[in-house]
Amino acid sequence: MGSRWSPYDNNGGTCVAIAGSDYCVIAADTRMSTGYSILTRDYSKICKLADKAVMASSGFQADVRALQKNLAAKHLTYQHQHNKQMSCPAMAHLLSNTLYYKRFFPYYSFNVLGGLDNEGKGCVYTYDAVGSYERVGYSTQGSGSSLIMPVLDNQLKSPSPLLLPAKDAVTPLSESDAVDLVKDVFASATERDIYTGDAVEIVVINAGGIRRESIDLRKD
Amino acid sequence: MSKATVELPPKAGFNFDLCRRNDMLTKNGVHAPSFLKTGTTIVGLVFEDGVVLGADTRATEGPIVADKNCEKIHYMAPNIYCCGAGTAADTENVTDMISSQLLLHRYATGRESRVVTALTLLKTHLFGYQGHVSAALVLGGVDITGPHLHTIYPHGSTDTLPFATMGSGSLAAMAIFESKYREGLTDFYIYILYLCQSIARDEGVKLVTEAICSGIFNDLGSGSNVDVCVITKGKVEYLRNHQKPNPRTYISSKGFSFLKGQTEVLSTKVTLLEKPQQEEGVDKMEE
Amino acid sequence: MTIFVGGFVFQFDGFQKKAAETMKHAHGTTTLAFIFKEGVIVAADSRASMGGYISSQSVKKIIEINPYMLGTMAGGAADCQFWHRNLGIKCRLHELANKRRISVTGASKLLANILYSYRGMGLSIGTMIAGWDETGPGLYYVDSEGGRLKGKRFSVGSGSPYAYGVLDDGYRFDMSVEEAAELARRAIYHATFRDGASGGVASVYYVGPDGWKKLSGDDVGELHYKYYPAVVEQEMAEVTIA
Repeated sequence: MGSRWSPYDNNGGTCVAIAGSDYCVIAADTRMSTGYSILTRDYSKICKLADKAVMASSGFQADVRALQKNLAAKHLTYQHQHNKQMSCPAMAHLLSNTLYYKRFFPYYSFNVLGGLDNEGKGCVYTYDAVGSYERVGYSTQGSGSSLIMPVLDNQLKSPSPLLLPAKDAVTPLSESDAVDLVKDVFASATERDIYTGDAVEIVVINAGGIRRESIDLRKD
Repeated sequence: MSKATVELPPKAGFNFDLCRRNDMLTKNGVHAPSFLKTGTTIVGLVFEDGVVLGADTRATEGPIVADKNCEKIHYMAPNIYCCGAGTAADTENVTDMISSQLLLHRYATGRESRVVTALTLLKTHLFGYQGHVSAALVLGGVDITGPHLHTIYPHGSTDTLPFATMGSGSLAAMAIFESKYREGLTDFYIYILYLCQSIARDEGVKLVTEAICSGIFNDLGSGSNVDVCVITKGKVEYLRNHQKPNPRTYISSKGFSFLKGQTEVLSTKVTLLEKPQQEEGVDKMEE
Repeated sequence: MTIFVGGFVFQFDGFQKKAAETMKHAHGTTTLAFIFKEGVIVAADSRASMGGYISSQSVKKIIEINPYMLGTMAGGAADCQFWHRNLGIKCRLHELANKRRISVTGASKLLANILYSYRGMGLSIGTMIAGWDETGPGLYYVDSEGGRLKGKRFSVGSGSPYAYGVLDDGYRFDMSVEEAAELARRAIYHATFRDGASGGVASVYYVGPDGWKKLSGDDVGELHYKYYPAVVEQEMAEVTIA
């Protein structure tokens, strides 16, 4: 009666996404690890699914890769049928269904999807492993999420979209301030989460297109 | 058929009934609170007239770093120090307990403690607890018979080695030692030692630092800074935070500000301390 | 139970456990619905938790199946979301095939039959289907164990005992819409007050002959001060330094 074989592993990693009025920031660290070992210090967890939809995923790398390939194939089919790129809300729905179709043997992946909606506003969708999803103003997933979420709540918390009469619920941050906040929360999470580190890759989507940047994190 | 003999506690040694009870509870889903572990890299090496001990400074609780700058090189005697890996409480207390026994022993004998004495006390203690005291140690010191380095495993077995590593980062550190440690560290430099004593020592400190760094960077259980302790005849240099290879990489230029009034004030009551009504106050307290 | 998937033989229960751990659970929920003179009131909180961690304070637990029908969400968030979405599709197809809207009875039975076919596989759903059809207001409770109950008054989730307490005390059939909405809001608020796994925003919907309408959404933190106005202490010692 030892520990039985498991089809899953946890490769760690942290993802963050923030939506603004006309931009979206998606970020993830680049460390991939298992147990107490680092497998690589330079692995991108961010995947461009469409022109205006980018997904960051942590969890089990094999499942994440399988999910990315699955979505890429479906998006290609969509392009052939409709002769256009999938919108971010459509991709969000597709991702939910794709995850739920493996409800009884889930993809062990924790995703955030970010991009621009049909009106050009920033949007972030956050998921659980079996496809429950919600559109939010900001989100974080992965090993460092419980360290980062309270900071985002403190800095970005806006009135709930469920309130009636409705209150304006846009993240009150400029694009550069959002990027600065992302860098800061990753540097902080790296201090205390052993599975987060090495570097943070930041993707910014706005009307001008997609921009990538990266900064170093602690390597211990 | 009823059991003829009633199980009695053993006449000698320890009673492990509670360990069996705890195993049973764990199987039934009652889990003990998690302990602070020092998923650690600790090392030591012997050079001509002393030993160098080294340790990282990260303490973890599961995947969370609980202490970024803890001390893992413990004092045993003025001429003996001991690096600890395993459960933090166990390594700290076991070294403390044996340290006091050594002090009493010095009072009784009037002689300097020997490393083997510390070794024997530690291993008998750990063996008695059959591995339930989870302390993995690297013991080093210099006594009348010269420099000594030992490793002690949680079950009580020991080794005597020219260079040693322990903890979750032991493989990473040993990789450095195996590729770079030379007997020369003792013999090769002997003739230079007479000319300039510090060369072999510096070589030793450099190698230990490199081994700890290997653990810090390649093992997730180890991290932060390098602590080093050099023990030579009649001299101890405890180099706390000898190297700090992991500074914070980014600090927001703006910092964070928290608006006043985020917590609603429901009532305010100001009590003046200027004229304490002592008599009334005392009476009320005693009622 | 051992089943075969993709060439691997594995213990089904092991995966169920693993899957349950990775799931966002909306049990840690308070939802309620009741029928009264004017129609149906549906209300819910908005908190989702994974163990002790609050994973969201803004979950839409009242799912809009079509303009005349609502579903509530308790149990696995993904299970509820997906199967309500699925039910929405089935209801629309029924409408296109039969040239009239599906009855609440029919819709709830569609869902109950699906859930019964998955019985024992580990789905976790406790839902109420509420709506208005040709026969008037309709309300059914459906769960993943296969249960389906018709009723006038239900509450589902960890906070339901508290909600029932308020609901059963204050319920009258001949309430006005305003009175009914206030009762539902108060029941949700009191459940979030006592149940740590419920919280966020108390949403209240009304379904009448013209379909559903969202009546209110209030932060329960603010509702607290409505139901228990802060008593500001009158005596305030004057700050005078002698």
